[in-house]
Amino acid sequence: MYKTAMLTKDLVAASSKPLLLSILAGGESYGYEIIQKVRELSGGQIEWSDGMLYPVLHRLERDGLIDSEWKEADTGRQRKYYFISSDGRKVLKTERQQWLAVHNTLGKLWKIKPVTI
Amino acid sequence: MAGRSQHPGQIMENQTRYDLNAAIESWRQELAGQAGLTAEVRRELETHLRDAIAGFQQRGLNDEESFWFARRRVGQPQLLGEEFVKADPSQVWRERVFWMVLACLIVSLWTNIVSCIPLHNWTSGFFGLLSAYAYVLLIYLPVIGLAIFLAKGQLNKRYYALAAIFQSRWRLATSAIVFIVVTHGSQAVMQYRYLIQTDHGRMAHTLDGFWVNVFSYMSWPLMLVVLATWLMPRQNRKTPKRA
Repeated sequence: MYKTAMLTKDLVAASSKPLLLSILAGGESYGYEIIQKVRELSGGQIEWSDGMLYPVLHRLERDGLIDSEWKEADTGRQRKYYFISSDGRKVLKTERQQWLAVHNTLGKLWKIKPVTI
Repeated sequence: MAGRSQHPGQIMENQTRYDLNAAIESWRQELAGQAGLTAEVRRELETHLRDAIAGFQQRGLNDEESFWFARRRVGQPQLLGEEFVKADPSQVWRERVFWMVLACLIVSLWTNIVSCIPLHNWTSGFFGLLSAYAYVLLIYLPVIGLAIFLAKGQLNKRYYALAAIFQSRWRLATSAIVFIVVTHGSQAVMQYRYLIQTDHGRMAHTLDGFWVNVFSYMSWPLMLVVLATWLMPRQNRKTPKRA
């Protein structure tokens, strides 16, 4: 049996898109901050490999769902900030519906209160 | 922490001896060896590494430990390279071709400058041979320089040294065009003087040929400028629109 509730590799990969879009829907952010946020929100259950986050971010950017800009941070160093695009917000809405559909279906099976959008 | 000295005196000695900047530089060179990682990606990963180091330092770890953990967190350069190639193979080739085009442009402009240097005054004998070798060596100087920077992993540093030119497509194109006009202009002036001296009364006809030559010389580097500008890595070349 699993001692800790770490997510499987496939589930981590599948959830990366809605997670990233949801974080960026809350405001612009950069790689390190995103990783910290996911770690904090999931209570350590979702463990992303830091370097592997960037290919995903770049793919989302290529697909036009997010955009980026190099800006000077408080530390004086240049950082690449990502933010959601209008297409990204539309895709996030669809993703949200799909994930909630899965959640509600499983919720019915496990007798958990359903969530409405 | 495996391999960590527990003796306070030794810890202090290690801390004073450990050069964090040198460690980051060495890691950066390791990244530069990965074909899949473009200059912009390497820059982004370095920012991440520095953020992670700062995070570990805040938790009380020393420079060496912070670097070790941050490096581990970011991942192995080889695996990172493979992931980026998988994610977008075309981007890697785009940047490679950009550098090739830029190298061709530099060599083309450099050759033009070198051709203005009167090295070929000695046409025969030992000095003639020497000047011919010096001429060839001068022509290949930028290629040799590029190869040395690449081998030493310093190409990225040189790229940042010229960061102002690479800040936008417009800047790259303008700088290159100004350079082309200046170098080709000076060559044209030299050629013009030579034609005046050897004209023998056919000035109008000679000048037609002269201008055709000047523009045809410029067409090749200008075409390279257009290509380089088009292929230029995405870094800072636009102001994104927010949703």
